[in-house]
Amino acid sequence: MIGWIKNINKKYPEFWKKYLSTFEEKSNRYVSISLGTTGLDSEKDSILSISAISIVNNTISIGNNFEINISQSDNSEQSSSILTAKKEEIEALELFLNYIENAILIGHRIYFDVEIINNALDKIDCGRLKNEAFDIEIMYKKLHDLNDDKSFSLDELVSFYKIPKAKVSTPDEAFSIALLFLKLKSKLGIV
Amino acid sequence: MNNSIAVRVAEFLKDFQPFVYLNFADLIEISNSVKVINLEKDKSLFQINDQLHDSFYVLNSGVVHLTVISDSEEVLLNKCYVGDIFGLRPFFAKNNYQMNAKAREESIIYAIPIDVFRPYLAQNSEILNFLLESFSTNTKGVLDKDNTDKIVNSNMIFSDNQTDVSYFQSLSYNKKPLQFSPNTTVKDVAISMSENLHNNALIVENNFPIGIVSDSDFRLKIATGKFEINAKIYNLMHSPVTTVSESITVNEAQLLMLKNEVSHLCVTLDGTEKSEIKGVISEHDLILAQANNPGVLLKKIKNAHTSAELRQVRQNLTEIIQSSISKNLPLTHINTVAGEITLTIVKRCVELIILELGSPPARFAWLCVGSQGRKEQILLTNQDSILVFEDVVDEKYYDVKDYFMRLAQKTTVLIEQSGFNISKNGYIESNFNWCKSLTDWIKQYNSWINTPGENSNEIGTHFFDYEMAFGDQNIEDMITENIFKNTKNNTLFFDFLGNDTLKKPAPINFFKKFNVEDDGENKGKFDIKTKALLPLIDAARLLILSFNVRGINNTYLRFKQLAIEDPKSAEIYLDCAEAFIKLSKFRTLEGLKNDNSGQYLNLDEFSKADKESLKNALAPMRELEELIKDKFQLTKFS
Repeated sequence: MIGWIKNINKKYPEFWKKYLSTFEEKSNRYVSISLGTTGLDSEKDSILSISAISIVNNTISIGNNFEINISQSDNSEQSSSILTAKKEEIEALELFLNYIENAILIGHRIYFDVEIINNALDKIDCGRLKNEAFDIEIMYKKLHDLNDDKSFSLDELVSFYKIPKAKVSTPDEAFSIALLFLKLKSKLGIV
Repeated sequence: MNNSIAVRVAEFLKDFQPFVYLNFADLIEISNSVKVINLEKDKSLFQINDQLHDSFYVLNSGVVHLTVISDSEEVLLNKCYVGDIFGLRPFFAKNNYQMNAKAREESIIYAIPIDVFRPYLAQNSEILNFLLESFSTNTKGVLDKDNTDKIVNSNMIFSDNQTDVSYFQSLSYNKKPLQFSPNTTVKDVAISMSENLHNNALIVENNFPIGIVSDSDFRLKIATGKFEINAKIYNLMHSPVTTVSESITVNEAQLLMLKNEVSHLCVTLDGTEKSEIKGVISEHDLILAQANNPGVLLKKIKNAHTSAELRQVRQNLTEIIQSSISKNLPLTHINTVAGEITLTIVKRCVELIILELGSPPARFAWLCVGSQGRKEQILLTNQDSILVFEDVVDEKYYDVKDYFMRLAQKTTVLIEQSGFNISKNGYIESNFNWCKSLTDWIKQYNSWINTPGENSNEIGTHFFDYEMAFGDQNIEDMITENIFKNTKNNTLFFDFLGNDTLKKPAPINFFKKFNVEDDGENKGKFDIKTKALLPLIDAARLLILSFNVRGINNTYLRFKQLAIEDPKSAEIYLDCAEAFIKLSKFRTLEGLKNDNSGQYLNLDEFSKADKESLKNALAPMRELEELIKDKFQLTKFS
């Protein structure tokens, strides 16, 4: 309650408002995302790179993609570089929000991705992501009625569906996730 | 923005025609506009009479079948594999699609927009040529994968049956016919024909053909005493000759022969009797012209020098099998043809390696075992063979053995390159154990026969079905002799085999449902090989050995023979023979559909009638089982 009151007076950046305004309509677009991060702690670690590719009408458009790297500031360095790094991060997030708009996000263990983006957004005075999100690992488990304690890495999922393996990089992962999503989507009968 | 995914797509494309003609920067440009589609199994990408899409397609993974509807049946035109392009129609034509594109396996397809690709077409004549070629070549060329470099065609002139296309090709015929003046004696003509191995000769006057003689004329007119052998040839000849021009097709030639009731046609420059002679077409040439003729394939094998040539023959064989099955030829016949061709390929492989290694230091026999030994190999299944060499004195033994090991090894590689899988069970000739001297082999057989189950539970039942591909007949005879000597009244051996036969899992469960695979890759499919075919094969072998009948290796014929040997149960045997053929056919169809060994039937794709028919085919097995239980004491090993 208190948080909500606090938010009323909060001044959001322009791009955030624009992002929110896209949710007035429902989206038929999916965006598969993959993040490169410094670690697995959504509180402490930060984002190194973001890759994404969009899926409309059951087809992946290679041209409609998103790739960005964020250079990391070392804490020991002077404050000016921290500032520029921060500026770079703001820019990256701004571009990212402009790209995803109201699309439904797809990822492998997407909740971690969403969480770390939310934390980053929080630092620059924005709210939390409003997008719906689908996780391919959960989709796979649902398809095969598997219980929750089993986990599947992206590599495993990719080999289950005989998708050609690619080198490890976030854009390639985003692409593989998108392919997996198409396959799982049709199998699960999601329209 | 940098786009690494486009780079990944471009890297895939760059290995395939026609993209090899483009530089990488252009490819990335193209890749940027690629759309990726996932096509679920049995879903269509486009269908006949669909409006043209704005893209053409490259297959990234999976298999897509291109089909047309003919006589209200779906007929397969082409199978697309990874890297194949299809759906080119929008480039060249404005009317709707003329075929169906359907995913045979779940496939990932790259769609490349026509508008993006068209500019490159204009700049690069090689690409244009490639696309035109792939658009216009007929089915024949497409199936020769080696020649067309992975083109898949989109514009087929489709006659009733795929193989009929071959009738429209032109013929090859004897371009240097024997020519004689009308006054030559019959004897001289006959001598010359015999020397040149021709069955016909032209009679010419002023270089124009006036008549023709063939073998039958000598039989009808000389041997019957009508003419002396010193008579002039013009008495014998058929005149006038039916002449045709060089551009004749197989079909036309066939019609002309029927119409004129002749067995030979004379080819002349302009197709009339008053022009230069170009050759003679015989009925035999017409048969050979149908490239998918088994006789032609055998000839091709015998002249082959590389594994690529043999591979091509193997591919043609698959076509023959496919068309034979669609024409409902009896499977026993197809089995024989396929078996003969496979055997000839193996034989040729051995020959080629012997040419390479020099002549063998001792006599030997190369025996095909397993399915090929039974002449039941239709699909691309495993090719198992063993090598038996003659006993030699001790000091030479190692040299000889070394030679045959090398021979076996190299031949195996060649057979593999010719398109056969090498057995997964390790029955490979190069394997130390399966390339042995005659004594060692006899020992091996004896240990299987006399002490079954002692050294190992596995017994090489496989090895009791063999056929010689190459080598010395005596060696094969000696092995056969030995087997029958030892198996005679050897109850222990038969009991073991009997147990082994009945150990196979039942095809139908208590609830009259098919026993399908519980897990693994083939979950939900029916293993027709282990659960239906192998029990029949094993049972037939067991019974035929127990009746001491030799020389029959084919399961179908074994059952037929058993019906004669054991008239009491004749009915069961005959049922089994029919069932075996029916089951083999199911397997073959499945194998052809999926390009594999057909071991696992996907029952979901079967119609109800097919399922019933499959179930009926499995019925005689129960009676056969009872018969075996009755005949042998199975308690010792169970």
